[in-house]
Amino acid sequence: MTTSTITSERQNELAAMDMRDAFFDEIYRIARADSSVVFLTDDMDAFSLRRFKKDMPDQFLNIGVAEQNLVNLSAGLAMSGKRVFAYGIAPFVTMRCFEQIKVNICSMRLPVTIVGVGAGFSFEFDGPTHHGIHDVPIMRAIPEMNIYNPSDAASAEGIAKRVHVAGEPAYVRIDKGTFPVLSDTEDDFSSGYRIINPPGDVTVVATGYMSSRVTAVIESLGSDASGIGLVDLYRLKPVDASFESDVITPSKTVITLEESSISGGIGTIVAEMVAESDSHTKLVRLGAEDRQFIQYGTREWFHSINGIDDESLASTLRQALQ
Amino acid sequence: MTSQLSISDLEDKARWVRLQSLEATVRAGKGHLGGTYSCTDLLVALYYADILGLDPASPDDPGRDRFLIGKGHACLALYSIFKDKGMISQEIFEEFGTSGGALGGQLDTSTPGVEYNTGSLGHVLGIGAGIALAARMDRAAFKAFVVMGDAECYEGSIWEAIVFAGDQQLSGLVGIIDRNRLSVTDVLEDDTFFNEFPNKVRSFGWDCIEINGHDFGEILAAFESAKQSDKPVMILANTIKGKGVSFMEGGVKWHHSVPNGEELDLARIELSPGTAG
Repeated sequence: MTTSTITSERQNELAAMDMRDAFFDEIYRIARADSSVVFLTDDMDAFSLRRFKKDMPDQFLNIGVAEQNLVNLSAGLAMSGKRVFAYGIAPFVTMRCFEQIKVNICSMRLPVTIVGVGAGFSFEFDGPTHHGIHDVPIMRAIPEMNIYNPSDAASAEGIAKRVHVAGEPAYVRIDKGTFPVLSDTEDDFSSGYRIINPPGDVTVVATGYMSSRVTAVIESLGSDASGIGLVDLYRLKPVDASFESDVITPSKTVITLEESSISGGIGTIVAEMVAESDSHTKLVRLGAEDRQFIQYGTREWFHSINGIDDESLASTLRQALQ
Repeated sequence: MTSQLSISDLEDKARWVRLQSLEATVRAGKGHLGGTYSCTDLLVALYYADILGLDPASPDDPGRDRFLIGKGHACLALYSIFKDKGMISQEIFEEFGTSGGALGGQLDTSTPGVEYNTGSLGHVLGIGAGIALAARMDRAAFKAFVVMGDAECYEGSIWEAIVFAGDQQLSGLVGIIDRNRLSVTDVLEDDTFFNEFPNKVRSFGWDCIEINGHDFGEILAAFESAKQSDKPVMILANTIKGKGVSFMEGGVKWHHSVPNGEELDLARIELSPGTAG
């Protein structure tokens, strides 16, 4: 297998690109080439969608604030030969219409991608209704669902391509803002995870926004953190069987890190794999506590009260290395 | 292919569908006869009076009209129709209600002619709206015919679809409400919900036609009118739960009871060929 690297020019371009733009611009290109692509939203906007709406008005529809109908319409369109993207705020497009997704999309394996914006605590001042911390556990309960959680513009763009090619039920939760490119290796995003630093005695398995955060924390620790493995898990379901031999077996301790409920997110996903493996790997799970946060503050403040802010992460990593 | 049947032929066919549903229910010891019988005449009209234009040899034809039913527990009427049309065999039909059998108490797409997996109420009109939207996007002529139970209309998602289809003026969507006035445990009389129902639907941009859901003349006229409309159309079909078997008509008990003994004998007599409906 040959691996090629992304040019520094391209890396700079991706690092300057909002994750939503990376994802939606790719969907734009896909829809330009495939007239069966239809984009529906429950009245959620994104700057990069305006071009889609303007250039392909016959393939774009704001159906209003009605998530159950959003998913039912998506099912009807997909049953009639369309490839559908249905976009809204993460908790609403997963929970309000859970049964519609389970029955009308997944049980018939229709080519519909649910796109949720607002992963984790990114809607920081809007309260627990807007927090995207239970969407992954809920979507994970549906057998046929593929769940993606991109961590940078490169993975967002790559995942957009993957879900279109696959033509299966998918849930993609995207973040907003710009993120450093985590890997300079060209990737078709088929494996579900990227090994950023090779697994070692201590390996961090992170996803989404937290992959970026912990990358920065590891860098800030300098030589103290040499030997810490880092894996970006961007496909949460299914996880390739190779994850066990690639990540769990070589690690004495695996630390999962997510901006999602510790109950049902990647902490649970990796715990299940560790429990069923032959390894004696120790597992530490970091993420949002198993509760609803009827609190308001910045994203960083939410991280601090959950022990996943940069300072807490640095401290946890130092302890794990001892 | 379908041929035009007279109203008398359609009545005979409906009686046959009810008898098949009865025998399958008795054989399996389970089934939902009451709600099957209330919509049987509507289904027979759709499938035998050239409303859907179904080609049994090609049930997946992309240009076909789509038929969806929310109250999937009325599946035995459809299984009977599919058997009659040669889409499923007698052997498959007899698997109804057996463990691991091909035909269950709800419809799923593994059965030829079934468009979607039923079981959860309130989804079906929105799916039909999606199909009608796809037809409009593709400038295709097919329509979505969607049967719902009246109790099902209490689901909010039905109203999300009514608002959407009216707003979009989806003329490819025809809703049919089996207004049998009985839910699983209760009587749904003309309360605030169904009071002025046609005008409520019209106010969202739909045509609404109220008919006797057991009168083939009225049923066919409503379907023909719906095909010509430039709006989404809701047909409010007043029906009788258990229609066709005297002791079942209008009884809550027959939502999912199975007749035996003298009741079974009487039901068989009333559904036998040539009996006045």
